[in-house]
Amino acid sequence: MEAISDRLFNEHTTDNLQDDPSLLTIILDVSPSGWFKIQNVISIQDVVKSLIVYLNSHLSLNNSNQVAFLITSPLKSKFLYPKLDNSNIIKDSVSKDMYRQFKIVDDIILEELNQFLNEMIDKIENNKRSTLTGAISLGLTYTNRMLTLDQSILTTTASAMTTTSLANSNQNSSNITSSSSTSMKSRMLIISANDDDDELTYIPLMNCIFAAQKMKVSIDVAKLGFKNSSYLQQASDATNGIYLHIENPKGLIQVLSTAFFIEPNLRPFIILPANSNVNYRASCFITGKAVDIGYVCSVCLCIMSKLPEKCPACNSEFDKKIIEQLNRVPQIRKKRKLESNGNGNNENNNN
Amino acid sequence: MDDSDEEYLSGITPSSRFSSIVPESPRSKEGVSTRTRARKSGTTDDNLKGNNGGYSWEDEYQRSWDIVKDDDQQGSFESMVQQIIENRKKKIMKNPATPFQRGIIRTLVIVIDGSNSMAEKDLRPTRLTLSLNYCIDFIIEFFDQNPISQLGIVLMRNGVAHLVSEVSGSPQYHIDKLRQLKIRQHNKFEPSGDASLQNALEMARALLKFNFGTTSNNTKNSKEVLMIYGSLFTSDPGDIHKTIQSLVKDEIKVSIIGLSAQVAICQEIVNRTNHEPKLSRSKHYGVILNESHFKELLMDFVTPLALTEKEKQEEASLNNGVPIIKMGFPSKVQPIVTSTIGNTDFTVEFPQLNASFPTQGSDESKDVVEVNTNTTLLSSTTIGYQCPQCKSRVTNLPTICPVCGLMLILSTHLARSYHHLIPLAPYKEVPIAESYDSEYCYGCQLKFPRGVKPGTHPGVLESMTSSRYRCFKCTNDFCINCDVFVHETLHNCPGCENN
Ligand SMILES: [Zn+2]
Ligand SMILES: [Zn+2]
Ligand SMILES: [Zn+2]
Ligand SMILES: [Zn+2]
Repeated sequence: MEAISDRLFNEHTTDNLQDDPSLLTIILDVSPSGWFKIQNVISIQDVVKSLIVYLNSHLSLNNSNQVAFLITSPLKSKFLYPKLDNSNIIKDSVSKDMYRQFKIVDDIILEELNQFLNEMIDKIENNKRSTLTGAISLGLTYTNRMLTLDQSILTTTASAMTTTSLANSNQNSSNITSSSSTSMKSRMLIISANDDDDELTYIPLMNCIFAAQKMKVSIDVAKLGFKNSSYLQQASDATNGIYLHIENPKGLIQVLSTAFFIEPNLRPFIILPANSNVNYRASCFITGKAVDIGYVCSVCLCIMSKLPEKCPACNSEFDKKIIEQLNRVPQIRKKRKLESNGNGNNENNNN
Repeated sequence: MDDSDEEYLSGITPSSRFSSIVPESPRSKEGVSTRTRARKSGTTDDNLKGNNGGYSWEDEYQRSWDIVKDDDQQGSFESMVQQIIENRKKKIMKNPATPFQRGIIRTLVIVIDGSNSMAEKDLRPTRLTLSLNYCIDFIIEFFDQNPISQLGIVLMRNGVAHLVSEVSGSPQYHIDKLRQLKIRQHNKFEPSGDASLQNALEMARALLKFNFGTTSNNTKNSKEVLMIYGSLFTSDPGDIHKTIQSLVKDEIKVSIIGLSAQVAICQEIVNRTNHEPKLSRSKHYGVILNESHFKELLMDFVTPLALTEKEKQEEASLNNGVPIIKMGFPSKVQPIVTSTIGNTDFTVEFPQLNASFPTQGSDESKDVVEVNTNTTLLSSTTIGYQCPQCKSRVTNLPTICPVCGLMLILSTHLARSYHHLIPLAPYKEVPIAESYDSEYCYGCQLKFPRGVKPGTHPGVLESMTSSRYRCFKCTNDFCINCDVFVHETLHNCPGCENN
């Protein structure tokens, strides 16, 4: 066997251990229902305090490190940092007690957060879906820019375009990756207390996962609250991130500064706390509920929890014989043997 | 021109005379044209022509610095902007693939020749570089059209087969490996030695077998090998006909793209494994005429293999609709190992494995081919995915549950094609105006240029384009980078997701 089997690349991960700057994007989900349920355990205030310490320590690791802070609620998602028009804050950011970069980041985030929460209290309605996918999308577009373009925040389109044209010219052969001209690394941390998975929009989340995979952005998830979120688990699992369900969020700062503090490229060398199980449930196109056994249209691959005549997504008609088989007599085909306990089959003994 | 001609004539290696159907050296002009004449009947004449309408070796040599136009200062910026905008439109308008059945698990092993013959410069810049470039394109297209399929890559070099990437369903993983290979093709993995068909096919067979525990249920899966072969002979340690027999037995179909001339043994492999009559011309064995023909042949393998006669009859007998497949979405189970030190039990929780790269970064990824070692056995019994129907465990996805026959798949595999289902409407360019509502790109917070009065600053960027591209659903403005990124990679409009 040895004569014919020789691996080409054995020295994995050793090439990319340089001390490159890294971008940390934090997405804080402030959906009121989730935080209400854990109000006796921890408040948003405490979590934000921990997050600010976490951000500052990230900034202090390397002075080219970058941070971004997004907030998401059923109302909307928004960048808190970087703030577009930050001239007055930068003006009085000089303080003899504090590193300037820390103070800029901290002040902007706290001010914007307060403003956002006040705004949200006035406008919030019930029955709105989470906009977490919007926040992830925003985070990814920003990351895309930081990875490929000039990194100064006030750059205008003209200078950015010259970089793009370069990037475009070699995209002919490789348009799946955004060719990264800088050696910036990037990761994303989602803090969510939302317990209801069905509030998340499935397809946009999946699109985000694939984009993150392509860009090599790890999605880390710190899940507060009582239940695991299957979709967020999938997001972190598929992007090589860390998912942790933190049942005792009082010690959040410790978790942040240990498990979540390690750069993704160093993670293979460290034994991290892991989830024992990741549930790869999918979402039914018709009902929107999570399913673990479903029917799949072989043309468009949409997932259904029940059997319709026609595909709800691509409109192709299904083979009636197959539907019959799936519905009534599972024993006809050998491989459908054990199907009898699912989906309401009544006539099991027709052999 | 002179340089390359010299290569052509002196490039006859002694080895190239063995086992070739065409007795002439393939690189002498006569040899090539006899070969092409022999194969002409299947394809139209246009396909055989190079850029100038002639054969590729008659083309004028194109130097890369000639392609870049030397514009005078004024026009260059304008044309650059135009070009960017054109590119963007072209990319976005690229039609989503026509619907056809995606519900087939294909497992494909790509075998790339890395032997001496691949250093030839008859394909520019070299055969190997071009093959690697085309393979990257192929992989993107392959996973786009076959979202629940998997592939692996093997390189033939110095008489042995090297594993470039394991069988996996992640396009990015394979592309990264090919890129690494491309980067090092001059200082570590330069083409060298001979190619061995037997070693490569045996490795491919092992990969395909290892990833498909069961052969009992193969109506929904196919095992394929696609080989890019530049050599004209093979140097094997044993009897290649035995390997062919085992390939036939394991129902592995081999397709070959030849880069120089038709080779008898390749023809035999293709005919036998595809159940075709002996020495018949097969669409699974093509010899390239020029670069574009190479690409054409390669891209033909993106679409699933045609059904055989028997399968066609089955299809016809129940052909009254699209099949619907029952699938299970398993959960990943990670092992918990306890060990005792002193009198205390310690629970070792293993680091997470990435789902889309089932073995990347873990120990067993290093010796996946050495099936006998303990580590592989240990990990294959502990880490796994649990079938939601019968609770048995499998190690690799997608697959068919060996116990209950349910097709098991990760939902992320299926979701790869969903952006075709719900395509994102293109953004429209905002017309040039004196002032605009938006100051920053909604996606990346980039500052937009300010508006100018039309005609006041000719030649300035602001007077030629507004640089804003608007989503008409959510009326947010995006910059050109975000526009391309959103439509090419993300497939979500960040603005619409926030409403
Ligand atoms: Zn469909
Ligand atoms: Zn099962
Ligand atoms: Zn932008
Ligand atoms: Zn929109």
